[in-house]
Amino acid sequence: MIPITIDGREVELEDGKTILDGARQLGIDIPTLCYLERCGPMTSCLVCVVKLRLNGRTSVVPSCGMKVVPGMVVESETAEVHELRRSALELLLSDHVGDCLSPCARICPLGLNIPQMLRQVQLGRPEEAAATVRSALALPAVLGRMCHRPCENGCRRSACDSAAAIRDVERFVADTNQGRPQPFLPPRKKETGRRVAVVGAGPTGLAAAYELARNGHACVVWDRAGVPGGSLRREVEAGRLEAAVLEAEIRDLKRMGIEFRSGVTVGKDHPIAQLVTEFDAVFLAVGEVAEADREGLGVAMTAAGVKIVRADAFMTSVERVFSAGSAVRPIKQLVKAMAEGQMAAEAIGEFLAGHDPRKTPKPFSSVMGRLEKTELQLFHLGANPAPRVVARCGVGVGYDPSEAAHESARCLHCDCRAAGDCRLQHYSQVYGAEFGRFPRQRRPFEQQQHPGRVLFEPGKCILCGICVKIASDAAEPLGLTFVGRGFEVRVAAPLDEAFERGLQKVALECAEACPTGAIEVASPTDAHWSHGKLSV
Amino acid sequence: MSADPLILQFVDETVDRLGTSKDAVIPILQALQERYRYLPEPALRRVCERSQITPSQIWGIATFYDQFRHKPVGKHIVHVCHGTACHVTGADRVEESLRRHLGIKPGEDTDAEGRFTIEPVACLGCCTLAPVVKLDQVTKGMVETEHVPTVIQEFLEAHAEGMAEGTGTEHPAGESSEILGPEIRVGLGSCCMAKGSDRLFEELNQAARLVGVAVNVKRVGCVGMCHRTPMVEIVQPGRASRFYAAVKPNEARQLVLENFRPPSLWRRVARSAARAVDRILLEQDDSPTTRCAVDMKAGPAQAFLGRQVHIASEHFGNLDPLDLEEYLRHDGFAGLRRCLVELTPDQVIEQITKSGLRGRGGAGFPTGPKWKVVRGAPGETKYVICNGDEGDPGAFMDRMLLESFPFRIIEGLAISALATGATEGIFYVRREYPLAVKRIQAAIDLLVKRGWLGDRLLGTPHPFRVQIKEGAGAFVCGEETALIASIEGRRGMPRLRPPFPAESGLWGRPTLINNVETLACVPWILRKGGEAFAAIGTKLSKGTKVFALAGKVVRGGLIEVPMGTTIREIVDEIGGGVPAGRRFKAVQIGGPSGGCVPARLADTPVDYESLREVGAIMGSGGLVVLDDTDCMVDIARYFLRFTQDQSCGKCTFCRVGTRRMLDVLEMICAGKGRPEHLGELERLAQSVGQGSLCGLGKTAPNPIVTTLRYFRDEYEAHLQGRCPSGRCAALVRYHINERCTGCTLCSQQCPVDAIPYQAYQRHEIRQELCTKCDTCRRVCPYGAVEVR
Repeated sequence: MIPITIDGREVELEDGKTILDGARQLGIDIPTLCYLERCGPMTSCLVCVVKLRLNGRTSVVPSCGMKVVPGMVVESETAEVHELRRSALELLLSDHVGDCLSPCARICPLGLNIPQMLRQVQLGRPEEAAATVRSALALPAVLGRMCHRPCENGCRRSACDSAAAIRDVERFVADTNQGRPQPFLPPRKKETGRRVAVVGAGPTGLAAAYELARNGHACVVWDRAGVPGGSLRREVEAGRLEAAVLEAEIRDLKRMGIEFRSGVTVGKDHPIAQLVTEFDAVFLAVGEVAEADREGLGVAMTAAGVKIVRADAFMTSVERVFSAGSAVRPIKQLVKAMAEGQMAAEAIGEFLAGHDPRKTPKPFSSVMGRLEKTELQLFHLGANPAPRVVARCGVGVGYDPSEAAHESARCLHCDCRAAGDCRLQHYSQVYGAEFGRFPRQRRPFEQQQHPGRVLFEPGKCILCGICVKIASDAAEPLGLTFVGRGFEVRVAAPLDEAFERGLQKVALECAEACPTGAIEVASPTDAHWSHGKLSV
Repeated sequence: MSADPLILQFVDETVDRLGTSKDAVIPILQALQERYRYLPEPALRRVCERSQITPSQIWGIATFYDQFRHKPVGKHIVHVCHGTACHVTGADRVEESLRRHLGIKPGEDTDAEGRFTIEPVACLGCCTLAPVVKLDQVTKGMVETEHVPTVIQEFLEAHAEGMAEGTGTEHPAGESSEILGPEIRVGLGSCCMAKGSDRLFEELNQAARLVGVAVNVKRVGCVGMCHRTPMVEIVQPGRASRFYAAVKPNEARQLVLENFRPPSLWRRVARSAARAVDRILLEQDDSPTTRCAVDMKAGPAQAFLGRQVHIASEHFGNLDPLDLEEYLRHDGFAGLRRCLVELTPDQVIEQITKSGLRGRGGAGFPTGPKWKVVRGAPGETKYVICNGDEGDPGAFMDRMLLESFPFRIIEGLAISALATGATEGIFYVRREYPLAVKRIQAAIDLLVKRGWLGDRLLGTPHPFRVQIKEGAGAFVCGEETALIASIEGRRGMPRLRPPFPAESGLWGRPTLINNVETLACVPWILRKGGEAFAAIGTKLSKGTKVFALAGKVVRGGLIEVPMGTTIREIVDEIGGGVPAGRRFKAVQIGGPSGGCVPARLADTPVDYESLREVGAIMGSGGLVVLDDTDCMVDIARYFLRFTQDQSCGKCTFCRVGTRRMLDVLEMICAGKGRPEHLGELERLAQSVGQGSLCGLGKTAPNPIVTTLRYFRDEYEAHLQGRCPSGRCAALVRYHINERCTGCTLCSQQCPVDAIPYQAYQRHEIRQELCTKCDTCRRVCPYGAVEVR
């Protein structure tokens, strides 16, 4: 056994093992992209670097390939090493052509996975679509009618004819779900035993309550009005929202275990100070605070509303009391008000878990920016070319299943197939990599779709070499190779043959082993792969 | 594509000749390339059918190395050298001018009629003659933009006469003359030949025959004084040698006539008559004996040679590279013989260790300890490799040593084999050095023929077999593990060390890799002892170092100086300083891995430690002098262009990092830089230098780091939209001042007609047409063209 030291901790390893093995033994998560145990170290991505001191010499080495020898002193989790790893990630990102998340999903303040929802609707799987929607939206049927749909502004389809009707499809999903005898609700996490008082049953408060309840916290919503809804009640009164829709949403929230104390004015009927003693945390989502109510809240105020002492954690001047939404400063858009509630709930969740409460960072996404016409054409391949579907039964009723499927098929699926299952995306998130650190001339987006089932997007390839190795080990008749040199190196099949011809035996293995989304193999039912190759 | 049966037949023959194993791939591709001047795809497929070479292997290789082309080429290939010295003397403008003259469109490399293909090369290694172009096999030095039409015309005329194929000076010396009679020695290194020394050699031979004097016209290796080539030395027993520099071929006869008395009265009469006729025809009495004579004991020649100490280049300018007898007369193989009969391998290593010799290829690793590791590594089969993959632009020391002293390098390699227990030797030589390859091969053949190589080294029972592997054009193959990958028939991609080649190298066997110059020092050390070598140089850097002195210097050439000589001594005393009217600004040492040392640090001694301290490295020994017309941001950009192209593309820091640094430099040179860019450059340089896998990437930021350290003001000037040296085209304008006499020379020479023809009036440059090719400034006799 060979003893080495990593971050001041000793670990003993067998001869032939690497620094990476040692770190894993100690539970240190050294990021790797190009390393796969069965392929051996490729030492190409260099995100696994560590600082090594040995025999009085210091060097930076890839931990995956460096075999242990006695006396090694390794630094892994230091600012200096992290800076190097971040740089490696940022360099890879600077030459990464593809969007992890679609523009619509990046724009959505609530982070709804829109392309996934559309694919599920297109394939006629409304229950799955409901689960997707429910993972982000507290009030899907309301948003499906009232959202100002910023997502549709970002839709690439609008460059050609008009954006996909995202909000209408979402309404279809919500209404379909609501129409079932037992509408789908997301499963709640194990109860935490923590209790949170949400003051205000408007969009911000309800969104927070939903998020807290999903995460297993007991949640009581206090509201001065007789029925929950806050500002949404005004929409009902004005005839812009059907009362039944709002009521159904509230019913679902109650089914989630959220308790409502309506008709109680916190601050007057029930002092804040008392709430603070009764609950583990208090969330003020009272909407715009009237002059007369300012004092009753018992927290420091600004001219606009509740004073926030730590913006990234939604903290007020009183400990364990948080606030967001129009209570802090007026917010016009419904979806933004709800997003504040959602983010505050995440921060409160962190606080309740004993962590430093911070906003959860937005999911990391590589961004291609504006596309050239020829690039956009690739996205159009297989998408439903028809113009936006108009509901036959009128806007009041919305899409029927076939209309919703047709409309969903207009989606260009700008997101990456590997989003959420991509190590580059994951570690970029973990290391806070800055996507746009380097000004660059982006390479054109390329997509090699083959008549078989293999799809290759060279711009997403990080040249790790795993697929080249797997193909070579499997004695593929053609195989893959690195082509060219320097910055222009690419992975391709030899002799200008199609990529797919290089992978006649091990395409699936390569797709699974690919650390990013460069190689994918279709499953016949996967609309995402085929860019809507299903007949529409 | 249907396959041409002739191609298939040629492939089959080639595979039969070169073998079917995977490591035959590069030689096979080279044979195909030589035959077709590109790689026809059906041929590649056929190779895979007929051998163990796989399609992915062949394609990876064929797209990795510069040498291989995938499209048919024009009738002639014009190589434009982009080495450092050529770059600072205007290689970009020369290429642009060639493209314009030959009608080659941007983005293409061949003209529409398929007559000429233009091909940039990293370095032809004729740095003292910069800018250099090579037309097929003919190298032309000092080609300025305005010479392009003439150069092309002369080439085509010579081609029509069948003279452009290069002349036959490459026969090995036959049984060389034991009689030490009169000799005419002509330097026949590649750069001398680029200045016409091969023609001169022929003419001198012919003249000697015609005049009827008994004199041996002898080819010798590099003379070092590249700035005065072709050099001729006339040696007559009992008389001091006489030297002539810059001799033209048509002056050969006169030179012979004036130095040698024809044997008969009749010939003497003929000689006088000929001289009289020449005088009338030439209308001058400027004979080469007066015009070209050089006094080696005084003046510039003395300054050039005075400080030099010749160990690696011992007997420079005296030896016929391929005359084995002559080499033996000059103590050749004495060092090796001593190792065979007197010393044990450990004693050999002890001598090398005592000498303090360190690797001359760049990093300066101590040679003795390196040999010791290989000696101690277990294994029946071991390899010794001579690394002649001198790829740094601006360096040609190894080429000169291989061309001039092939026996000495073989001797050094053989000694290293004896010391380490290796029986196999390999010369890895760049293909861009055809003459070096030819001479090493000829020398090996001569030794094999004599029975001195093969099963019986120097006739003793020690086996030592030597072969040559030609590189195919990849700078990174100078890195040990990449070099090994290349020999094994793979893409030249370095791998993580350890294991070091000393433990697991070629084919997994212990392998010793030494640079050419390192090996060239070895025979001397074994002959004179380690102490003698260690007596030269500084405390930690022993012996001498060969430098290729080029760029903005009066006397460029190949020099060998003791370690510790200062930069100032090299530039001012040996090199004669920068040309008159210019200011010495910096020296670039060590090529793409090295740095720029500013003039104010010119008293830095040249040794490993001192150079590292100022941010440069010894490198393999390229030393390019820069003056006030050279822009330091442009120099940094030049090297980053090189490294990002030459990176093997494996590791992130090098592949992408060098490119991102280049992007920033391009923006700065184009006047689009922002203040935060300098910080970003520093941050990136740090990451790339630390994180890269091999030496190429680790040292790639050095040109940026040193120029930022010493010339930050120039970077800042660019951020404000000024290029102080007037070099960055986007930031300068050409103007004609009041000194203009209206002579129209600039107007006539302007390749894009940006200067209207107005005789006797002050000319004007139409800025919207001007390409900033610098031709007008150079041709103006009155200094009336200004760059602002």
